[in-house]
Amino acid sequence: MSLPTIQIRGLTKRFGDHEVLRGVDLTVAASEVVCLIGPSGSGKSTLLRCVNFLEPYDAGEVRIEGRLIGYEDAPNGARRPMAARPLRAMRREIGMVFQHFNLWPHMTALHNVAEPLRRVRGLAHAEADERAMAMLARVGLSDKAQAYPSRLSGGQQQRVAIARALAMQPRLMLFDEPTSALDPELVGEVLEVMKSLASEGMTMLIVTHEMGFAAHVANRIAFIDSGRILEQGPPRYVFHESAEPRVRQFLQTYHDRNSF
Amino acid sequence: MNPDVLLRYAPSLISGFGVTVMCWGAGGALGLILGFIISLLYRLPFAPLRWLLRALIEVFRGTPFLMQLFLLYAGGPYIGLKLNATTAGVVGLGLYSSAYFAEIFRGGFAAVPHGQIEAAMSVGMGPRDTLLRVTLPGALIAAVPPIVNMLIVLSKETVVLSIITVPELMYQMQTMAAETFTAFDAIFAMAVFYWLLVEATSRLGRRVEARVTAFMAQEASPA
Repeated sequence: MSLPTIQIRGLTKRFGDHEVLRGVDLTVAASEVVCLIGPSGSGKSTLLRCVNFLEPYDAGEVRIEGRLIGYEDAPNGARRPMAARPLRAMRREIGMVFQHFNLWPHMTALHNVAEPLRRVRGLAHAEADERAMAMLARVGLSDKAQAYPSRLSGGQQQRVAIARALAMQPRLMLFDEPTSALDPELVGEVLEVMKSLASEGMTMLIVTHEMGFAAHVANRIAFIDSGRILEQGPPRYVFHESAEPRVRQFLQTYHDRNSF
Repeated sequence: MNPDVLLRYAPSLISGFGVTVMCWGAGGALGLILGFIISLLYRLPFAPLRWLLRALIEVFRGTPFLMQLFLLYAGGPYIGLKLNATTAGVVGLGLYSSAYFAEIFRGGFAAVPHGQIEAAMSVGMGPRDTLLRVTLPGALIAAVPPIVNMLIVLSKETVVLSIITVPELMYQMQTMAAETFTAFDAIFAMAVFYWLLVEATSRLGRRVEARVTAFMAQEASPA
């Protein structure tokens, strides 16, 4: 098995006149953890959202285990948007965790996790609940199964969201600034869960501002600025040895802000 | 105040109140159903249909109910639509309120944060399940308070049905006032009836609202 889990080539995305992604190339191998860092508005969230085609891209390609997502080849040699059904089938295999959790507020924690299992995986009610309970246990929230999201802290909500994505048994997980909306003292519990996922060999692509986490958990860091990957490599290299001025400047600002 | 007159007319007043409640209930239900259907059709990615629905909504919201009712009752027969007064009243209330209810449901749909729909997309949920399990519950919950509000407004629009001789409360009141020269008593009694109706509606509405939003503040009982 040598097909990379994610292979991105020449990815271009435009919002009106503004080119958000300008020819991005990025490969994520199976069981690899890659963190995307960079200033706000650099395009890192957009890049992540292109991977499961929540954001349709304009040019280039995103392949999941070799298969192009979002487009298919038309008979005339051009490409056309993928039909809804195969796109959904591909999305099933890609877990996503959002900055603002995006739990369904009218369902309990357990129901949030079990609902996709029933509707998408076609599991019976009891079976879905059982797997959902196991997933909640894994993120340390067995005792909150019957709580509605409004009764949970941000950190707990995000762990439920991770459990919801994990329950689908995805081939890879996308994290879009999973701790950016959390109070500082709640960040740790979410990062712990992500760390344990990484150690179990989950393939992960993570947009984050948690440099400490990135340094310790990522196999590779990719620095994005103005829609381009300016630098990538092992954390030690990007954080300490990169000669790219924008990287050094970004890390310096970050360092200044966090030292007191 | 003249208790004798009020007592003498009590049966017709109560029957008028019954007709009012019936017309209001049936008209409101019709309006809710039509409005809901319109709001669903409005979501289809078909622009000409949206323009048509928009035009309908604007016409029903933009013209007086009295005029609509006249057109329906007096003008209907010219296009082969012969309705008795009560039926015309119910249909009129239904059409009139459907425009408002459609907008209320549309607002409900718009109130569901897009992130919840993206979460459904990201796990590969299809459009049907996303609508039934995610969008619709959120939209309906958001719509409850404005629905109750509109139903209260509608309860008082029923007085207009007296113009086309529907024997509802207003009609009975006018009859009583005309026959006994007791305008003040009639109006006072009418106010009491409507106040009771509105008070009951808003109490019921608050209970429904508390019930459907219970999840915002409380834990579910263990399953």
